Amino acid sequence: MTPMTPGTTEFLLAFADDEHLMGQQHTEWIGIAPFLEEDMAFASIAQDELSHAALLYAIVTDEGQGDPPDDRAIDRLAFDRNADDYRSAQIVEVACTGWAHALVRHWLYDTAEELRWSLVARSELEPLRDTAARAAREERFHVRHADGLIDVLVRTPDSAGRLAGAVNDLLPLATGLFDPVAGEAEAVEAGVTSAPFDTLLPEWTDRVRARFPDIDIGAIAAPAFTGRARRHEDFAALMARMNEVRSIDPTAIW
Amino acid sequence: MHTYEVFLKRDGQEEYRHAGSINAPNDELALLLARENYLRRAEADLLWMVDRAHLLVGDRDFVAPNSDKPHRDNDGLLVAAHRKSQREGM
Repeated sequence: MTPMTPGTTEFLLAFADDEHLMGQQHTEWIGIAPFLEEDMAFASIAQDELSHAALLYAIVTDEGQGDPPDDRAIDRLAFDRNADDYRSAQIVEVACTGWAHALVRHWLYDTAEELRWSLVARSELEPLRDTAARAAREERFHVRHADGLIDVLVRTPDSAGRLAGAVNDLLPLATGLFDPVAGEAEAVEAGVTSAPFDTLLPEWTDRVRARFPDIDIGAIAAPAFTGRARRHEDFAALMARMNEVRSIDPTAIW
Repeated sequence: MHTYEVFLKRDGQEEYRHAGSINAPNDELALLLARENYLRRAEADLLWMVDRAHLLVGDRDFVAPNSDKPHRDNDGLLVAAHRKSQREGM
């Protein structure tokens, strides 16, 4: 039996959409991050996430055959679906216009992402296994980068306060990363992923508490299970920005 | 912020070369930021960084220009002219 069932496709799209929108959101800090070196670093990390998204979309477009990537087909998945057909989590859709929020989201997302790749490290789907190996090499540096910045900022009362505010604002949305799509069960059954992602929610919440020991987080509630069918109100504007140039000439080759 | 100097080296016999500098609040972030700023296109295999405050610096007075010591320059022109005249005289 091929592991590429409709459930697997939905599972892969949810992962790819998260990576795609997270990468896009990070790139928007180019030129306005707090200092020049961080401009480049954050955008470079964003490109890593976008490359993960492209690799995941490619598995969908060629149904796991490992063909050379069809960029146009990947773009159609990335940019041309109806909003209702995306399966991204709202944490990657919400606009974070302050640096504290962007940084906290970076940490929360990448800490979850590192765990997420570990579940597909021994996937029955070979291209997904290969992508997981590549991503794992990059993710530990993403988390170190976020940790390094937070380590410095928590020592200053003003920035520590801003980070605490961002953690409290973003945690409810971030747990939505563990909100499974309907197809996840099928992906688990087919061996595409070794377990439902929310089995790692306790591990993630332990890491959140260890990272922010001075913040009164309270109970971290499990996500409401929505199947990721609803988009955040900031999603439309994000898509419009992403497609601003592309829509000038959809047939252009980049 | 500290300023760090960045040196990159490829595997093999090529030496470390100065690639530029970077501002960072501490060593850990200096390494991570250099990785994303100087190594994102596989520019090298190895990285050295040094906080500029830790560099040993010889200033201009110490280095003392040697521009007024022509006796230390030997471009071999006089020797060549001498050998040529010897050869042609034979």
